[in-house]
Amino acid sequence: MSKMEKVVEEVIAGNVDGVTELTQELVDEGTKPSQIIKEGLVAGMDVVGGRFKKNEMFVPEVLISAKAMHGGMDIVKPLLTEGESSSAGTVIMATVEGDLHDIGKNLVAMMLEGAGFEVVDLGVDVTADEFVEAVKEHQPDIVGLSALLTTTMPAMEETLKSLEEAGIRDQVKVMVGGAPVSEGFANEIGADGYAADGSTATDIAREFVS
Amino acid sequence: MTIKPGARARDYKPFSEQDLKQIDDAIMNLLSDTGVKVSNQQALEIFDEHGAEVDYETQMVKLPQSMVEEAIDSTPSNVKLYGREEKNNLEIGENRVHYGTGGTVLDVLDLETGEKRRINIQDVADIAKLVDALENIHFLVIPVYPNECDDQNVDVNRFYSALKNTTKHIMGGVYSIKGIREVIKMASKIAGSKEALVNQPFISFITCVMSPLILDDIYTDFLIEIAQHGLPVAIPAEPLSGATGPITVAGNVTLMAAESLAGVVLAQLVNPGTPVLFASTASAMDLNTGLYITGEVEMGLMHAGVAQVAQYYGLPLYATAGMSDAKLPDIQSGYESAMTTLLAGLSGANYIHDAAGLLEMCQTVAYEKYVIDNEIIGMAMRAIKGIEVTEETIAADVIDRVGPSGNFLVEEHTRKHMRSEFFQPKVSDRQPREGWEADGAKPTRQRAIEMAKEILNSHQPLGIEKKIDDEIRNEFPHILLDK
Repeated sequence: MSKMEKVVEEVIAGNVDGVTELTQELVDEGTKPSQIIKEGLVAGMDVVGGRFKKNEMFVPEVLISAKAMHGGMDIVKPLLTEGESSSAGTVIMATVEGDLHDIGKNLVAMMLEGAGFEVVDLGVDVTADEFVEAVKEHQPDIVGLSALLTTTMPAMEETLKSLEEAGIRDQVKVMVGGAPVSEGFANEIGADGYAADGSTATDIAREFVS
Repeated sequence: MTIKPGARARDYKPFSEQDLKQIDDAIMNLLSDTGVKVSNQQALEIFDEHGAEVDYETQMVKLPQSMVEEAIDSTPSNVKLYGREEKNNLEIGENRVHYGTGGTVLDVLDLETGEKRRINIQDVADIAKLVDALENIHFLVIPVYPNECDDQNVDVNRFYSALKNTTKHIMGGVYSIKGIREVIKMASKIAGSKEALVNQPFISFITCVMSPLILDDIYTDFLIEIAQHGLPVAIPAEPLSGATGPITVAGNVTLMAAESLAGVVLAQLVNPGTPVLFASTASAMDLNTGLYITGEVEMGLMHAGVAQVAQYYGLPLYATAGMSDAKLPDIQSGYESAMTTLLAGLSGANYIHDAAGLLEMCQTVAYEKYVIDNEIIGMAMRAIKGIEVTEETIAADVIDRVGPSGNFLVEEHTRKHMRSEFFQPKVSDRQPREGWEADGAKPTRQRAIEMAKEILNSHQPLGIEKKIDDEIRNEFPHILLDK
């Protein structure tokens, strides 16, 4: 088995130390960082994604594999030359104002990271104005809004309005999720996408940036 | 996660020690004072020879307590029921729990049309094949009687169709002495020799005792025949509360135990040490219709009680649970099957038959019901396994590390234990509504039908070695299954 194939195996196994060591060795041997990402780290996560869809791997395993992949990413990212990108895209994620629930949002964020996205996590109880500021600062491709409480659903609509008023709504795709949210609600408030779970959110994010 | 067959139960004990002593006294008194009617000349003579009080005129036999106790002592407490693959071997006894099929059903809900129709020989083969693939069904009690057969040729036909399609242990009721001999001959060929079959029996038999308190002529002949061969046999009694047994649960358990014990004693007198299963199919009469019912919660209670009685005597137990009186696999069939399956299992009943596929007071089977019950049994096995408590499972160090507002998603502890702590259903749909709708918004029964079809299309059972199969087909030309 080549070292690159071993990286793939260790990503699938979720072995952070193994991925980190092997990535460093490949770098030391002069392998191109972009090649390590494509044929090793991301290739491993692609296998993980496929197995997850077939119910052969579970959420915690996917997230642990993502963690392992990031162990390698941390080494190769700084070595990328101008114009090369390790990221599938940037996503701003947060739970909307008035809502302190974050496990669902965190899970989606981790799954997006596992799929190669750069995630800027703004945390919980994030106001519409804070979203606007963050979009201006980070220039994301996607904004993800989360809510668990029915009472905080209107805050999603508020956030979308504020992005509109700031003139930056067209720069981003907005996706929404959380227990009380539905496809119908997403359409009603003018969001671009709705995901019922983390793996759907990842699929939608991929569609947005493709 | 699949819990290995034989997980030990420890939880549910409806009888206290005092209750058990009281029931034991009543059982012994019933056998020695009331006695059992034995409508079989050979059995009367065997009981007589060994010192029972026998009245040949009334056919009443009274069993002294010492005779019953000796028989209990000479019965192996643990019986190994083999499969034809090692992974399917079962050890029956103590509080180890296994689930499987049962019944002698004449009709099936057709997998294509959903219509009720007569069972044919291909159904016997297909049900065996399905059971072979369903991981939580631990053994096959041949559950159906094919319409093409009669009592003289049915035994070899049922066992052949089953042997051809599963390597799980196969047990079956029998309908003639000729049939028993043919089945043993056929299985001996597969085993290599009669001796090899007796040493590692992958087939076994069921006879029965009539309630209340009758060892009838034909089934007693069968029992004597099988005991002479030294092959395992279950001897169930089936008192129905309110009709052929007392209306009280304790009374029905007591009567059932006395009846099955009478059969156990006879088998031990015929062949001391022969493997027998103390056995119950006790249930009740419906108070509204006067008909036999199977899905009542009291049936589960009875078999939890029976399990304790079996453990009290140190006898391996063939028990009953998981049936339903619903006419199709629906909500009623789900809760009835789940309820008694769990009750009997939690009490440590050993060889719980009838636990898959049965509907309509044990008169109809449905392929999809086997798939659904496979899932119910998987869940029950998880409950039986109980909660493991160690420093590792309490996980105080993990909780400490994660701390307030953290999460357990990427903890190694989560990954290490998730597969052994949580049963993963196959039939249940736990997707968000969108996913379920995208899959066609199918009700549970429909999903199970599709799974049953998929298994029947794709599963390849081990079968019978070609050369031996040819020999069997030559020797028993009355085997009807398509070659």
